[in-house]
Amino acid sequence: MQAFLRKIVSSQETGLVVVLALLTITLISLAGSHADNATGATINNFWNSHTLIQTATDASFFAIMAIGATVVIISGGIDLSVGSIYALAGVTMALFLRMLGPLSGTATTLVGIAVSVGVGLLCGLLNGALVVGLRVHPFIITLGTMWMLRGIAFVATKAESILVPSSLTAVTKAPLGLGGGLYPVPMLSMLVFTVVGTIYLARTVMGRHIFAFGGNIEASRFAGLSLNRIQIGVFAVSGLTAGFAAFLGASFYGSTSSGDAQGYELYVIASAVVGGASLIGGKGSALGATLGALLIVLIRQSIRTLHLDQNYEWIVIGCAIIVAVVIDQWSTRLTARRLSRAAA
Amino acid sequence: MTESAVRFDGVTKFFPGVQALNDVTLEVAAGSCHALCGENGAGKSTLGKILAGIYSPDGGRLFVHGREAHFDSPRDALAAGVGMVHQELAFCDNLSVAENLCLGALPSRRGLVVREEMERRAAAMLAEIDAGLDVRRRLGELTLAQQQVVQIAAAVGSGARIIIFDEPTSSLSHHEAERLFVLIGRLKQRGVTCIYVSHRMPEVFSLCDTVSVLRDGKLVATRPTAQLTEADVVQMMIGRPLAEYFPTHSSALGDEVLRVESLTSPGKFQQVSLTLRAGEVLGLAGLQGAGRSEVACALFGLEHLAGGSIYVRGARVRIRDADEAIRYGIGLVPEDRKRQGLVLSETALHNTSLPTLGRLSRLTWIFRAKERRETRVLFDRLRVRTPSLDAVVAGLSGGNQQKVVLAKWLAARPSVLILDEPTRGVDVGAKAEIHALIGELAKSGTAILVISSELPEVLTLSDRILVLREGRLVGELSRAEANQERLLRLMAGLA
Repeated sequence: MQAFLRKIVSSQETGLVVVLALLTITLISLAGSHADNATGATINNFWNSHTLIQTATDASFFAIMAIGATVVIISGGIDLSVGSIYALAGVTMALFLRMLGPLSGTATTLVGIAVSVGVGLLCGLLNGALVVGLRVHPFIITLGTMWMLRGIAFVATKAESILVPSSLTAVTKAPLGLGGGLYPVPMLSMLVFTVVGTIYLARTVMGRHIFAFGGNIEASRFAGLSLNRIQIGVFAVSGLTAGFAAFLGASFYGSTSSGDAQGYELYVIASAVVGGASLIGGKGSALGATLGALLIVLIRQSIRTLHLDQNYEWIVIGCAIIVAVVIDQWSTRLTARRLSRAAA
Repeated sequence: MTESAVRFDGVTKFFPGVQALNDVTLEVAAGSCHALCGENGAGKSTLGKILAGIYSPDGGRLFVHGREAHFDSPRDALAAGVGMVHQELAFCDNLSVAENLCLGALPSRRGLVVREEMERRAAAMLAEIDAGLDVRRRLGELTLAQQQVVQIAAAVGSGARIIIFDEPTSSLSHHEAERLFVLIGRLKQRGVTCIYVSHRMPEVFSLCDTVSVLRDGKLVATRPTAQLTEADVVQMMIGRPLAEYFPTHSSALGDEVLRVESLTSPGKFQQVSLTLRAGEVLGLAGLQGAGRSEVACALFGLEHLAGGSIYVRGARVRIRDADEAIRYGIGLVPEDRKRQGLVLSETALHNTSLPTLGRLSRLTWIFRAKERRETRVLFDRLRVRTPSLDAVVAGLSGGNQQKVVLAKWLAARPSVLILDEPTRGVDVGAKAEIHALIGELAKSGTAILVISSELPEVLTLSDRILVLREGRLVGELSRAEANQERLLRLMAGLA
């Protein structure tokens, strides 16, 4: 039990959880409250199911992508094209469904997921193949595909917004028994991806290989790892998460366009990095990515809840990212020192 | 009593998982050459790095020329007259010798670097220690020995009166080392205090006046060299009588497991042929750059081959990458454990299981209990000393890191094991253990190819020794025929 507690206290994500908790408490105490229209009960302006689920929903789209980005970052790479993959996957799904015409709800959902995830996966494989085949740094390759893929989406849609069948919206906005205008599906998807991502990284051979690759490529080569396969694999994972996020986002909002998720790549990378992923490679976690995304959304939310000037949003987020990473580095160093004293 | 140049007073230092220094108090007399000896992980390098401002101590005090010093960076130390020559903290490979030497204070006019002035100053710094080098060459083009000379020039040129040498000869050839000793001699004459961190006894005894021995982060003793023998120092370093490994080969060799014919890689080695039988230990000797490691890498699929053929158990094979080599039962403990052998940011457990995850998993799912069990067994067998299987390998001592690399390849259960410098930078105790292990493996039928720059090591371990010179095999000696002199002559081309 004590060992378990120590493991929790010394784990990478504890610091983030503490920061999130502090921010939440601050928000609850400063948010004020209002009277519920129907029952007249006092409701905290932040601590109510509607705002909380709304915040989690906002986070879920890029938290899912941040998990994929974390996988790439652990391998020592970077993926700047996720926002564009999101847009292309979303519009391809919408165009394809429009072409097929009306289908049953289940069929629409299945085709929708298959197409968006498939497109995401293909784009990821393309990124990986280019990085491996041309031996160019992932930053450059994905910078290029970031524009190319969005350009393809732009051309394919002729810059128009495309409606998504309402049966898809019904799925992603399914109340799942909650009612009252609460939509938990994106949040639950985020949780599922976090769990799957954690297992993938910690318990599978592929996950181990990614950490080894990011930690020391040369030693990985000497250990007989297939370096190309690992590198293509991480971009495929990143593309796949972008594809799924596109399905979720497009169906949730009911329409897609080539301009979707513009600038998302930076939110995604920020989430991964705030979540403890190291751009040098070899370090990061799926849970960290999700917590990082939640932190960023929460900061954005707090500006709204506390009625601060919205114009300052970017400034605040920018500062928060740097502060979060610096705090993370300090705590890592402190933990390392404490552990070394305990062991000595 | 001469004035002391350096005094450590109760210095303590912690690293993740280990206490590197425990209350170390010692004094270095001004103008002396003072050796710091100890096994890897004993804390001798850490002590040197604290003095050089690379690490700051967690406890205790440091006095330089009688004044208490608090160094936050190598720059602070240099300002106080303390310089360090060591392997890892070299300079910028992409800059010229002159730029590197003047990096701290580039001569400039209106913000632009004055190249001539910079080159003149750099040349003067090199002349100061009687070293001639083209200051316009990029540092990366120089040999390690030349880079060391540049470091020494930088230290002396910036007024260092105390210079720390951290294992300066570990990657130098015999000849280069001799030149370094001459240079150190000259520094001594000029009254520079030298602190010489090493575990090579002959060097310590020929260069140093005083020796301090550290063990497990504690000071064992400080004595004048004249009062000690090499055996005394080794005894203090390991704290127990040294069990030398004497191979007792039954020479019951099995079938041929590996045959190589006319292996050629242009510019690296030509027409290399060899055979290796089960239970045999074959030594591969040669000077640095003779192509030893390249041959090893070729057998492991990591070197492009222009010609030649490899046979494993009589069947011709093509080995295109390490994965294929592993499947043919070949293992390679590479030359450079930090670069090629280990993922330093990962745990001992994950490093060990890396090449064998295929066996420890099904459908990519890792059986963690089995992984732990098998690694535990290997660590016990190799006596790897780590706080736990989950200790990050960057925090382990050199000897223990090397044992992790060995464990990783033992886990793969190879029938041919290639060991490239298996005991480089490993302390005496671990070295004896590794030698014993190699004997054991051979006895149980593993075919072993050993590459080593240390002739005594090749001589004690091998049943047979092949000598490479400039990429060609130039001789073969049986255990009975081989001795240090014959080997050296073959390696140098004097025979």
